[in-house]
Amino acid sequence: MVILFGLFLLTLLVLTAVAIVRTPNLFVAVMLMAIFSLLMAANFFILDAADVALTEAAVGAGVTTVIFLSALALTADRERVTKTGTYFAMGVVSVTVVVLIYATFDKPVLGDPNAPVHQHVAPWYLEQTPELIDIPNVVTAVLGSFRGYDTLGEVFVVLVACIGVQFILGASPPPQAPRGQDEQGLRHHLVPQVVGRLLFPFIILFGLYVQFHGEYGPGGGFQAGAIIATGLILHALLEGESAALKAIPPNTLLAMVAGGALLYTLVGVLGIVLGGNFLDYSVLHSNPVTGQQIGILMIEAGVGITVCGALLSIFHAFAVRD
Amino acid sequence: MFLSASLAILVTMVLALIRALRGPTVYDRVLAVNMFGTKTALLLSVVAFLYGRPDFLDLALAYALINFVGVLAVLEFFQKQSAKPEAGEAQDVDRH
Repeated sequence: MVILFGLFLLTLLVLTAVAIVRTPNLFVAVMLMAIFSLLMAANFFILDAADVALTEAAVGAGVTTVIFLSALALTADRERVTKTGTYFAMGVVSVTVVVLIYATFDKPVLGDPNAPVHQHVAPWYLEQTPELIDIPNVVTAVLGSFRGYDTLGEVFVVLVACIGVQFILGASPPPQAPRGQDEQGLRHHLVPQVVGRLLFPFIILFGLYVQFHGEYGPGGGFQAGAIIATGLILHALLEGESAALKAIPPNTLLAMVAGGALLYTLVGVLGIVLGGNFLDYSVLHSNPVTGQQIGILMIEAGVGITVCGALLSIFHAFAVRD
Repeated sequence: MFLSASLAILVTMVLALIRALRGPTVYDRVLAVNMFGTKTALLLSVVAFLYGRPDFLDLALAYALINFVGVLAVLEFFQKQSAKPEAGEAQDVDRH
């Protein structure tokens, strides 16, 4: 049944991808990208990867569409079609496809318990999580504690990406021209206004739930940061850019981006100060298991703050310019 | 029962996808994307019960809450485009 669902959704995914590549209208491409993301999340979910599916849902459903549209507002909405070099590109792609298909012959069957990925460290994680950390969601245990270094690296990747976008888009501050209707956001449209204000508190509440419930169900800092950022972007769309920037000034956003990464690092350094290793949370409390749980909560908070700040400041960097 | 429900939802997803791929106007596509999001939320909730893991309903909830924001962004995009001097460009009907 999993195979059936998977094949069906993957076929739709390929169709959508081909359509995205073929359409010259970039707005259509953005709309199809939204469908691509939805299909991808459904696929992850069918394969039982709920945490990944939630990340895709949180980022793909709201934030990417908004940022793509903001980028589109700054450029043309039609792709300039180039005719040269297409055969060469087609050749490279075809060869890559053949090599990839050849490589899948060596791949173990989906769900095979003897596959190397299930034989390596995964059994150890599954065995040790209840003993060492005692939380039901093993994914959070792996991300937050066993592979804390990797997650720290990811947080710094988010930080660097945010700095990069700020450098490119914020290089020359846009002229402060007098602005007309668009400054108002969607304030004078009654239906989005009412529905959006109704939804806003629930989105924030759900984000906080995902943030602090990540040890028990699917979720964690990355997903929660994206969901809360989506809620605040909804606020910015409804009330207009200046109202949103007044609510959370750009400097606060940048402080959030850097502060989250700093919080994560400080939790790691605290481990050293208290006599353990870097990112060893066991020493944070007299009971090592409680210490692990406190450490994971704190680093997840750091991740959430960084992701939320980064997404929001990228959104504002685009929105201020148009 | 859950299986037949999920298959029915998959069929409607295909129908929405066909509308999104064929257009012809951008409004068809926007509606199709919105409907596709709703269908995904439904599919996730039905499959969560099919797998016997109702706690995965969180994901469907995330979609139900967030899907609206993308459509609002589209609205705002068109509002901005029509406010620009070269208005009408965005309303360009895409036929191909």
